[in-house]
Amino acid sequence: MDSDILAEPMDFKVSELINEVQIDHSPAFIKHVNDTVSSIRNSIDKIPNNLVVTGEEAAGFVRDVGADKVEFKFKKPKSIEIGGSYSIKCVVKPDISVDLFIQLPKECFHEKDYLNHRYHAKRFVYLCVISKSLKSDSSFAKVEWSTLQNEARKPVLLVYPADKLAEAPGFFMRIIPTAKSLFNAAKLDLKRNNVRALNQGETSLPTPRYNCSILEDMCIEDNTEFLKKTFLGWKELGEALVLLKVWARQRDFIHSHDGLNGYLIAIILSYLVAHEKVNSSMRPLQIFRVTLDFIANSKLWTQGLFLQKQGEIKILKESFVGIGSTIKSLRPGNPQISGLKPATRLLRQGVVFELNFHLAISSIWGVHLLFPFHFSLDFVSMSQDFLICSNVQLQNEASLTLQCFGKSGDSAFEDIFMTKIDFAAKYDYCVRMISGEIMGIYKISGSLSREYLRLNLKGNSEFYSSGYCLDEECWRLYEKKVQSLLSQGLNDRAKSIRVIWRNIPSCCSLENGLSTLDREPLLAGISVSSLDKAFRVVDVGPDAEKKEEATMFRKFWGEKAELRRFKDGKIAESTDPMSFSASLLGAFDVLSKRLRLIEDIPLKVSSVQPLDPAFRFTSVFPPEPHPLASEKNVPRLHKLMSSCIQPLEVMIQLEGSGNWPMDDVAIEKTKSAFLLKIGESLENSWGMTCTATENDVDVFLSGYAFRLKILHERGLSLVKREIGSDQGKRVSSADQKLFVHSQHSSMINGLQGVFPIYGPVVRLAKRWVASHMFSACFSEEAIELLVAHLFVKPLPFTVPCSRITGFLRFLRLLAEYDWTFSPLIVDINSDFNTSDKKEIYDKFMLTRKGYEESSQNICPAMFLATSYDKASEAWTRLSPNILELKRLVAYARSSANLLTRLVFQDQTDSYRWECLFCTPLTNYDAVILLHGDRLPYPQRLLFPSKLNHGRLVARGNASKAFQPFILPGDLRGSLDKLRNKLLVDFDPLRCYIADLQASKECNTLKLWYDSLGGDAVGLTWDRSCSKKRDREEASDGEDPIDVLKAVGEAGKGFVKSVYFLKSPRLMN
Amino acid sequence: MGNLKEKVDKKQQKKSKRDNDSKFSEKDAMIKKEDERSKVNKPAEKKKKRKREKGNNFDGGDAIQTSREDDRTKAEGEKKRNKPRKEKQRSEEHNNALVGKYHQLGSESEVGFNEQKCKSKKTKKKKKEHDTSKEEENIVAKRGDTDHGEAYCISSVDEDCSEGLKKWLTDYHQSRPGLKALQQRLDEFIISHEEKLEQERKEREAQVAEGGWTVVKHHKGRKKTTDSESGITVGSVAPAAVENQMTKKKPKEVGLEFYRFQKREAQRSEIMALRSKFEEDRKRIQQLRAARKFRPY
Repeated sequence: MDSDILAEPMDFKVSELINEVQIDHSPAFIKHVNDTVSSIRNSIDKIPNNLVVTGEEAAGFVRDVGADKVEFKFKKPKSIEIGGSYSIKCVVKPDISVDLFIQLPKECFHEKDYLNHRYHAKRFVYLCVISKSLKSDSSFAKVEWSTLQNEARKPVLLVYPADKLAEAPGFFMRIIPTAKSLFNAAKLDLKRNNVRALNQGETSLPTPRYNCSILEDMCIEDNTEFLKKTFLGWKELGEALVLLKVWARQRDFIHSHDGLNGYLIAIILSYLVAHEKVNSSMRPLQIFRVTLDFIANSKLWTQGLFLQKQGEIKILKESFVGIGSTIKSLRPGNPQISGLKPATRLLRQGVVFELNFHLAISSIWGVHLLFPFHFSLDFVSMSQDFLICSNVQLQNEASLTLQCFGKSGDSAFEDIFMTKIDFAAKYDYCVRMISGEIMGIYKISGSLSREYLRLNLKGNSEFYSSGYCLDEECWRLYEKKVQSLLSQGLNDRAKSIRVIWRNIPSCCSLENGLSTLDREPLLAGISVSSLDKAFRVVDVGPDAEKKEEATMFRKFWGEKAELRRFKDGKIAESTDPMSFSASLLGAFDVLSKRLRLIEDIPLKVSSVQPLDPAFRFTSVFPPEPHPLASEKNVPRLHKLMSSCIQPLEVMIQLEGSGNWPMDDVAIEKTKSAFLLKIGESLENSWGMTCTATENDVDVFLSGYAFRLKILHERGLSLVKREIGSDQGKRVSSADQKLFVHSQHSSMINGLQGVFPIYGPVVRLAKRWVASHMFSACFSEEAIELLVAHLFVKPLPFTVPCSRITGFLRFLRLLAEYDWTFSPLIVDINSDFNTSDKKEIYDKFMLTRKGYEESSQNICPAMFLATSYDKASEAWTRLSPNILELKRLVAYARSSANLLTRLVFQDQTDSYRWECLFCTPLTNYDAVILLHGDRLPYPQRLLFPSKLNHGRLVARGNASKAFQPFILPGDLRGSLDKLRNKLLVDFDPLRCYIADLQASKECNTLKLWYDSLGGDAVGLTWDRSCSKKRDREEASDGEDPIDVLKAVGEAGKGFVKSVYFLKSPRLMN
Repeated sequence: MGNLKEKVDKKQQKKSKRDNDSKFSEKDAMIKKEDERSKVNKPAEKKKKRKREKGNNFDGGDAIQTSREDDRTKAEGEKKRNKPRKEKQRSEEHNNALVGKYHQLGSESEVGFNEQKCKSKKTKKKKKEHDTSKEEENIVAKRGDTDHGEAYCISSVDEDCSEGLKKWLTDYHQSRPGLKALQQRLDEFIISHEEKLEQERKEREAQVAEGGWTVVKHHKGRKKTTDSESGITVGSVAPAAVENQMTKKKPKEVGLEFYRFQKREAQRSEIMALRSKFEEDRKRIQQLRAARKFRPY
């Protein structure tokens, strides 16, 4: 039932998506493509036949692939034909490209050119000749090199036509040489050796990947023909292919040279068609699901796919049967190979191979070998039970996506197709390495230390000395080496590890050789299995009795194996903040006991509950005990003491009584009276210090200040209604606010216990929000709920296990969630059933009623539903409003992009990191800079603000009345006097903001500030002022400069300077 | 003095032009530029300081007035006739630079910021431009002049307790007079509050009595269950007990679909619910179509 209901919008979205990404095969576009093809044809025709070509054309390349005889006489290509996704009308934007197959003429090759990379060298030289001719042709804007599936020995040409078509921006042709029936396929049997350089003495090693590389070129045209037959005229299948492509592209860790690509997906689809798992009555989305299910759950992956309708291909059969021995000999030095299961088995139709490093598909036309699937060849590496490879990752991702269909409910579409799942967001830790050095260990911390990863790639001449390409390219070997090293080193700390080296830059000059191809960084992503395991201090090695293993272990770890025993203290660093919290919780326990023991008040204390974020480890600055707030005598001080202390809210409930007054004001006063009595009693019986205002009572204990609040249950039912106001403008009573706080607090507390990394992520998120001056419009609790959502509904990811990953996902959630049309349901304890959800949706729809009239007219702009607050009234009712949210989203987007860039490419300069938490002040109309040394906690200021734009309107000196630290001179007085110097909850910034908001001159201003210790306040001219101006021209005279002067006056002693950047007019 | 200022202005002008030309896409580049600017601005600041020191000789309140008068007289000065134009030019460039900065914030930041600014009012803006340009000139004129004057100095920081940090500190201390005093205040408040309530009640009764009528009121709610003296519950029902009882109650044996009409009604309401759901979905789809968020890249 549930999924039926959801199917409708999902289908709609899917069809819109397909429309969006598919390119229209309009006459204009078709003509554009055909024109380009014919001008390429013309250009190639201009090359003289029998032109003698030597390896000199591309000496570097020829040298680096290690080919010997390269000379040939140029002949025109046998055919030039369009292939690839364009031919089956499945081009997916944004890459609008058309594959052009150029069949290499047999005359240019000798019979034995399949040996020693001669084919590859000639192929490249042939392309070079074509490229020269194209480059001299004015009908092409640009001719570039690229490669087929990141395989450096198989380059392709990208040709950009000079004429541009508006509907196909960035259009280019990919010229792919093919080698149809160039060689005898039997010679390319997988167990044969065709690279003589690989031979060591007498043993001849097979070169399966090298052979595949040539076979692929031989079959590519036939494969395309086969795909055309399947796809043309079947719209739904094509659309399913488009969906799968979009899905895969959003996941860049599987859309790669050793994972999926569009071509491979098409082959898988046609396999499913051939096996009647997909039929013509299915809708695209159904085909999509079936395919994912096949990828995720099919057992065939351990055997290989085999497509055969008629006929059979002997070479394959034989070669696959022989593959077991092949693999054994692949790595003669490796003792573990013997532990493998027999590598071959028979398939139903004939051939099986357990090594699914490529898919073998044979069909009516003959052999179709797909791109080498490097998959589980990884098992050849060192670790015995090591099978973590891209194949497993692909299957995991497919099954995660299938879960999205079931669990994500309304957001399934976004999770599956719209969410970018890149390395940075998917993995908990990312390692980036650039040619030999580790350039950035981005998210590594704790015991996942960098020492494990010291890889000297370049210095490791083992690989380079033997050439760039033998059977496999050296970069692929590195990938495996890094992967196996990581997995061996991390052991069970890591759930999955993915190593990808997209080593070929977008524009490279391959003519000069392959030595420059390692400039791009190698990326390794690590998913942590659990925090306990990840931060375990000691790896216990194998039993000393198992000598072989023990020596292996010692060999791997080297000196570390010994050292580890003494390194126990290492983890202490990461647990340090926890110890503060422990002392805080201890103090809270003492307080609650003492409160319950109080006898000399009319009603006894029945329960005590913590409210402050500090108790649930989500406050940005965990409170530290203050010497002046503890009972002990103040020790002679060794360091500066802050003169301010932040109180932590604690909620008290009293026994029931019928004697409470009925009206709101009286209830609050009675509560205050109770609290005063409680404070007095604590002072008398325990010698604690208590300080109070009319509204708040604070008590000191063990260095902390606790602010006591009473929840009166009857107050919950009292709702103040403003006269004549509608449903949206209810004012909830103090008791209701308290109640919601307590519900929130206990809910988050529970969550925090389940996910230890939750707290750190929230703290980063809060700091980010504050440092971009959104303190006024985005409440701490709302941030906690957003982060909670990442943990309770992690799909399409898994639960984050590092704070950076969590933080990045928070930013992306904020930036990408469809706040206008969807409520965010944060269902922490899975409390909601269908009717609850319907209720939430109904309430949500009510808030969006005004949308049709005006897109500004929605409140709350951010709808957060929780079990205690289904109508989103608690935290986001008034703010952020629609404009604030827009600003917030824009900031989140740019920060998320910056963070992603930092992980992927940029240098590890710490300066760049700062930008995440350093807000550009030029985005405001006016800026107030404060005296940093008059902030209550100057040490919390991240970056002192500077402003050199705009005009200085006013400046002021710092007041001497307030010092954020207690001066040594003050310490001489008595303890009581000293305690009076300790200011509880004194925050000049808050006072200043309150004064500004109350003042008349400033009602045209909107304030942006950082309540966590920023030294700047941003001002924007409020939009409403311009409207007012239209109405009452008379009161227009307010000069912005005068307003700003008044603003400065209001904060005298605190304000350093006021800058004017933009006049109000610009707001219109 | 004036020459110096002008030089600085020219420098800045060049700077901002350069800013416009070079599209630096990185934030740090921008920050570095800012640093450079600070160097340029230094001489100007020094000058301001000197002036401010002069200003300090006056009494705080007067200082404001005099500086404003200064502005006015300068505005009337003939020499500065050319100035506004220059200034305007500069400010325009400046604004452009700022817009440029907006772009740096992120490739798509325009969606957020600029939309916010000029949302659908572009056409209006153009019409308005003529009117507002005058206004702008005014402001700019003032701007130019005050530039020549000095930054206004916030006066009497530690003498004046009506505003600013000192006031907040005094407020803080005044709000914490000690437990005893607070207790007293509270007691006073509650007594007066009760008196007020009593007064109101009496007035009400008096009003009623005047008319010669006695209003008989139905007292809503349950009987008093607490002893008024001690506040102890007497014979009331604890909510927990009630809940307990409620859960123990057996659910009705007879299903809701006992009668045929009940069945029919249930079916009908289900259909209604489905229909409303369908309508809702359609509405949502329309909204989605309007919003167009289907681009996965």
